[in-house]
Amino acid sequence: MTNFALQVNGITKRYGSGTTEVAAISDISLTVAQGEIVLIMGPSGSGKTTLLLMVGALLKPTEGSIWLDGLDLTSLNERALPDIRLRQLGFIFQDFKLLSALTVLDNVAIVAELAGMTTKAARRKAADLLTELGLGERLTFLPEKLSGGEKQRVAVARALINEPRIILADEPTANLDSKIGLQIMRLLRHIAKEQGRSLIIVSHDQRIKDIADRVLWLEDGRFKDMVTMVTDPVCGMALERDKATSAVWDGQAFYFCSEGCRHEFLDNPARFQTHQDVISSPSAIHQEHSLD
Amino acid sequence: MSIKQSLGYRNLIQEKTRFALSMSGITLAVMLILLLNSLLAGLYEQFGSYLRHTPGSVVVSQAGINNFIGATSTLSSSTVDAISETEGVSSAIPILSQFIILELHDKKQPAYLIGYDPSIGGGPWQLAAGREALTGNEVVFDRTLANRHQIKVNDTFNILGQQFTVVGLSDETASWMTSYVFMPKSTMESLLGLTGDSSFVLVTAKAGVTPQKLIENLNAVFGTQATPEDTVIANDLNLFARFFSAPLQLMVGIAFLIGTLIVGLIIYTATAEHQQEYGVLKAVGTHNALLYKTVAIQSLIVASLGSLAGVALTFGVARLIMSIRPQFLIRIEPTPMVEAMLAGMVMALLGAFFSIRMVTRLAPAEVFRK
Ligand SMILES: Nc1ncnc2c1ncn2[C@@H]1O[C@H](COP(=O)(O)OP(=O)(O)OP(=O)(O)O)[C@@H](O)[C@H]1O
Ligand SMILES: [Mg+2]
Repeated sequence: MTNFALQVNGITKRYGSGTTEVAAISDISLTVAQGEIVLIMGPSGSGKTTLLLMVGALLKPTEGSIWLDGLDLTSLNERALPDIRLRQLGFIFQDFKLLSALTVLDNVAIVAELAGMTTKAARRKAADLLTELGLGERLTFLPEKLSGGEKQRVAVARALINEPRIILADEPTANLDSKIGLQIMRLLRHIAKEQGRSLIIVSHDQRIKDIADRVLWLEDGRFKDMVTMVTDPVCGMALERDKATSAVWDGQAFYFCSEGCRHEFLDNPARFQTHQDVISSPSAIHQEHSLD
Repeated sequence: MSIKQSLGYRNLIQEKTRFALSMSGITLAVMLILLLNSLLAGLYEQFGSYLRHTPGSVVVSQAGINNFIGATSTLSSSTVDAISETEGVSSAIPILSQFIILELHDKKQPAYLIGYDPSIGGGPWQLAAGREALTGNEVVFDRTLANRHQIKVNDTFNILGQQFTVVGLSDETASWMTSYVFMPKSTMESLLGLTGDSSFVLVTAKAGVTPQKLIENLNAVFGTQATPEDTVIANDLNLFARFFSAPLQLMVGIAFLIGTLIVGLIIYTATAEHQQEYGVLKAVGTHNALLYKTVAIQSLIVASLGSLAGVALTFGVARLIMSIRPQFLIRIEPTPMVEAMLAGMVMALLGAFFSIRMVTRLAPAEVFRK
């Protein structure tokens, strides 16, 4: 267990009771390694947020246990949870959710202060962190004066200030344009890898897949069969690897939607090399779905 | 101050207009509360003004009467003589008193007529103009009442069918109910068709005689009742307080309620607007206690500033009212001042109640669902 930052054992969450009972999450298990980036995707209403809330110690599962740093969250008293959230978890929201009356610096520093730091030390630490994130010139600004990307970077700093083991992000790029969204995700990946923090992201955003170590597909409260997805280098189509035809060139496997594409590729493989899109991480399991 | 402690204040001043509005709510309510109470205090002072300023510590009246203002008491001249000769009496001032309705420039005006013997006392104690009424159909008129009706020294007017000349104007004798008009007792006797009767006798004790002893002696005089001056004033206040207190207290209550509602509503809107932010704070691990404080502090800042401004405003408004309507005496005393400010604080805390409840009930998970 100590190798894992997080271990989720067979959790179920049912809302309501009796005839109106809905199981938002059904018997899900998941382990997340230190420094691992897990992306959870799935259709609307599939239970992504519910899962994130339970992992974030904001919602108690109906069944199952959640182990975080040797502690079972589900066995803890309600009153103990805020401190766990404050010290062990970092949260990033879709719409940033900065405190509008506080400056950029204080938005970040207040969280360190809440965790017991003196105001002075908290501000110093926040200033360093914000400067690292490229916001050194914005410390005294109010959030309303910032661009969306800047706001989300402040939110990232706020999530990081107490050096949590796990960062949870719900749709962190939904309110950003695609370029900025990707920048934020690269930043998060960089931080996760460099500092060994685990990152669990819930998103509809296809482009985020690139930065994830693992993609999980949630549907009807369960993880669906995880199918490795590949992209046909010729036509660009997304494919399930096991159902595709393949060819090996230059020591690497390529997958195709049809014999036609395979032949086209083999006629001149060098032409398509730049288009290849095979996931580098061995643990990466992607599944392509048509979303929305 | 730490950031978390300053959050309430910063949330508050973020919306300047709202801040000003909620503060004005408290200011006005506190002002109204203090003003009404000060008006009542002034009224009380006016009620006791005559007895307090004239000589004597014991008021002797007809048996069964222990009020002064508005009370009908008749003492014969022989009774007055017996009172004067009672052991322990240093001086006894007989006076006549009567509520009358004056007609001044076709306007009816209630006044309290006092008949006194200028050689003995019981007349005006402070003159603003002219001289004391000495003989015949001469009166000293309350200055405020005179000013309101453009009456000057040497003017003449009619009282109960007789012509009178104003020879002096007196100070500290105004009241919006009972402004005093003084005339010689003998003149008043003939005006009212009395011969030698008095209404009250104001008695001063000889040195070394205790009030109890004096009253004991006086009560031996047949058909009279002796009451300490303070008790008579208190009785008058009790009688009239019943008329004024209830509506004034009702208005005070309404002012309190309106103040509470204004602050409550404004703080509630402010809290509702920041609901998401309080939710985020909860989600990242803030305990409820800090959030209560954040909300309550906003209320308390509004209340303290509003209360102080309310007290300051009361002084201004009181001065304004008294300059426009001098018959109203507004007496701002420390205790009601503190009480009004406390009322402001209570308004704020009550006003914060629903906001605090909203914050308490906020589920941090909700911030993930917008
Ligand atoms: N408080 C609740 N009470 C009852 N049902 C709820 C509650 N919260 C969520 N649900 C239900 O649980 C299911 C999962 O909701 P959840 O918000 O976790 O989905 P999601 O995958 O995050 O959806 P989206 O992509 O739209 O954000 C939905 O059917 C939802 O209606
Ligand atoms: Mg969701």
